[in-house]
Amino acid sequence: MTPGQIFLWAVALIALGFCLRRGPATVHRAGVESAKSLLKILPLFAVALPMAAFLAELIPADAAVRWIGPDSGFMGIVIGSVAGGLMPGGPFVTFPLVLAFAKAGAGVPQMVALVAGWCIFALHRIITWEYPMLGWRFVAIRMIAGLPLPILAGLLSELIAEFIPITLGTR
Amino acid sequence: MRRVADPRHRAQVAPVLPFLRRHASLMVIGAISVASGAALWRRDGADAALHALVHAWDLFLFILPSLLAGLLLAAALRQLMAPGALARWMGADSGWTGLLVATLAGALTPGGPMAAFPLVLVLAGAGADRGALIAYIMSWTLNGFQRVLVYELPLLGPSFAITRLLITLPMPLLAGWIARRLPIAWEPPK
Repeated sequence: MTPGQIFLWAVALIALGFCLRRGPATVHRAGVESAKSLLKILPLFAVALPMAAFLAELIPADAAVRWIGPDSGFMGIVIGSVAGGLMPGGPFVTFPLVLAFAKAGAGVPQMVALVAGWCIFALHRIITWEYPMLGWRFVAIRMIAGLPLPILAGLLSELIAEFIPITLGTR
Repeated sequence: MRRVADPRHRAQVAPVLPFLRRHASLMVIGAISVASGAALWRRDGADAALHALVHAWDLFLFILPSLLAGLLLAAALRQLMAPGALARWMGADSGWTGLLVATLAGALTPGGPMAAFPLVLVLAGAGADRGALIAYIMSWTLNGFQRVLVYELPLLGPSFAITRLLITLPMPLLAGWIARRLPIAWEPPK
């Protein structure tokens, strides 16, 4: 297990300990809820991870370099932000795809912008959740307020990368 | 002609929309997955497609421990926290403190949109203003602990994940501050 995973398990067990102080029924409810979410997520993984793996093979090794490579600069950051907003689906799709893009030559600041753009603008989430629940005026306010953020995030990471090298991927 | 008014008929039509909404991403991703798998098979042969599937399985096994821990933690936090109680700190006059509380609450909110957006309604009903609501949503999606710990850290590595998180950590405050100043009228849904 990686240090991050050990940390996550430690925090989860502490939180379960607090549940236990409220009685065994609370722990039981937490367990049942976890199992339910797992059953909901597993089918998504079953289609999303093969998709990312297929696409990683299909995309030629240097296809991403020109548009979102390390030297694509400001335009690459803008393209990354927009592409992020159009990513269809949750983290189980986006993060494996970011890995695939990195393999195809994408730069780190451009991927920071892509992840931030996906978080802020995720079009599918606006259509299925935000617009029906909060209305288009709220969506408009949030979109305008969030507009500069992915680009700002990309530029900041480019600045940081000047001093500290940022690596992408674990292998 | 009267069939639409027939309650039995309506009962059959009604669940279709929620079903589509709930499984839309599954179907879209499934379709892309099958199409890209077929394309890879045609271009590079069955071996390449099989190799990609093995790679996907390895990736799954690699995420599994954090996925399980993340889901357990999320469920435990849901039992322990009452987010509506925080809303009294998030009113229109709450200033930077309100945005800070909203940013903190968002980062601690586990789960996907099916968990977070109902909470946004709860906060709005309990008095949180639009700046705080937007800071909350932004912080949940940008800095949510579950997403970072379960997906980003194991998949993209600590160097990328931590830098990215540090950069976006204060951004919900900025978004909430801008949102309070935009001249667009918005009333929380009743």
